Amino acid sequence: MSNMKLLEVKKLDKYFDNKKILKDINFSVSKGKIVGLLGKNGAGKSTLIKLINDLLTPTNGEIFVNGNKIGVETKKIISYLPERTYLNKQMKVSEVINYFEDFYDNFDSEKAKRLLKDLDLDINQKLTKMSKGMQEKVQLVLVMSRNADLYVLDEPLGGVDPATRDYILDTILSNFNENASVIISTHLISDIEKILDEVIFIDKGQIVLQSDADKLRNKENASIDEIFRRMFKC
Amino acid sequence: MLSKLLKYDLKYMIKNMTIFYILSIFFAITTRILFNLEQSIIINIIGQISVGCMFSMIASILINTMMRSWVRFKDSLYKDEAYLTHTLPVTKTELYNSKFIQTLIFFFIGFFVILISLFIAYYSKDNWLVLTDYIKTITTGLNMSTSFFVIMFITLIFLEVFNAIQCGFYGMILGHKKNNGKLGYSILFGFIIYLLAQALVLALIFVYGLFDSSVMELFKTAAVSIDVHAFKILAIVASLLYIVIIFVMSILCKKELNKGVNIE
Repeated sequence: MSNMKLLEVKKLDKYFDNKKILKDINFSVSKGKIVGLLGKNGAGKSTLIKLINDLLTPTNGEIFVNGNKIGVETKKIISYLPERTYLNKQMKVSEVINYFEDFYDNFDSEKAKRLLKDLDLDINQKLTKMSKGMQEKVQLVLVMSRNADLYVLDEPLGGVDPATRDYILDTILSNFNENASVIISTHLISDIEKILDEVIFIDKGQIVLQSDADKLRNKENASIDEIFRRMFKC
Repeated sequence: MLSKLLKYDLKYMIKNMTIFYILSIFFAITTRILFNLEQSIIINIIGQISVGCMFSMIASILINTMMRSWVRFKDSLYKDEAYLTHTLPVTKTELYNSKFIQTLIFFFIGFFVILISLFIAYYSKDNWLVLTDYIKTITTGLNMSTSFFVIMFITLIFLEVFNAIQCGFYGMILGHKKNNGKLGYSILFGFIIYLLAQALVLALIFVYGLFDSSVMELFKTAAVSIDVHAFKILAIVASLLYIVIIFVMSILCKKELNKGVNIE
């Protein structure tokens, strides 16, 4: 695996109406890593993810992906799963596949169809006829069917049942190559901690801990879930 | 990528507008048939209903083209769908251009369908003569050719409506920047921009009037017997100004979008 930095965030601030949401965020992600972005509700995880995906504009600071500032080039190599359903619900699943095929050169439609079949999702069904959970599965399949360099997943396990969570984690693990990285933001730490290489704890808009997952477990002699609960005990 | 964006924007509009086009032409045909049947009270009532339906569909085409363009713009750039739109590997300029061209295309289609509907419902040699005579009366009074009058009339309406739509786009961009996602600001800014655009056109015509006394007369007198030259100039200058304003506003919209968005 390469140690080359795939994502670099430098001195990043984000304010909304003079209210500090993120302050002085600095971190980097190397190629081939699965990074857990962990924090309580309102800590700033989704804001950070949105900034990486050009959905928010930084107040200060810079973000680089593969050496490029956020823009068209970075969007070609980032595959982003937001925490909400964002597809045009009037479309059929097959139409959404065509849409992704049109815009993303690295989209593998055969893989998408295979994954959809595994999840018993009908490609001829309209999204509007699907439950929210089913729509979220479709989105995850679309995102994981891109041969991207960086996968950014915001709460990928939020709306699905425990059995499907395992399938999703398997899908994540088996569908990215060793030069790609994954950033996962979630509250369900116990479900994902087994796949994490690194963790970033974020609280009140600041990074309070960044560490290799195994080193942290050994140092604290506890699971990531336990460390998180201890650190953020109300 | 612009062509791909446009493909999906056009698909959206086709899905939403086709029904109005079909119904407009359908009621135009029923109007034509009903007024060609042997008349009775019942046939006449149904015929009048058909006329009413046709004109309501014509109004729906105009209103929906405008509203759907705005809704598409807002949904695509600022609502849930924005999570996909802004993460596509396309520039903000391409996103804007796609919406701009889509609106332009559907206004042409809308105007075309309306003309077809009116043609189907009312075309006859007699009606055509009445219409051309009516236009000739106006154009003779204004001392201008019929073709010039028709072209200027349609152009001005088209530019005026298109300007209003783009004011809505700009209002949404500024409104969203001011207060994420709140509709009130978008409407307020859109309205203010529209008024400013109208005031600017008027002000520039006034400035032109400083160098052309016949145009200045339009500001000074309420008399109907104005120099026809002034009307011609007014129409041409207003059209040119609208084109410039639409062009400049589209640049401002793209510039503002390129500064970045904040999607809640």
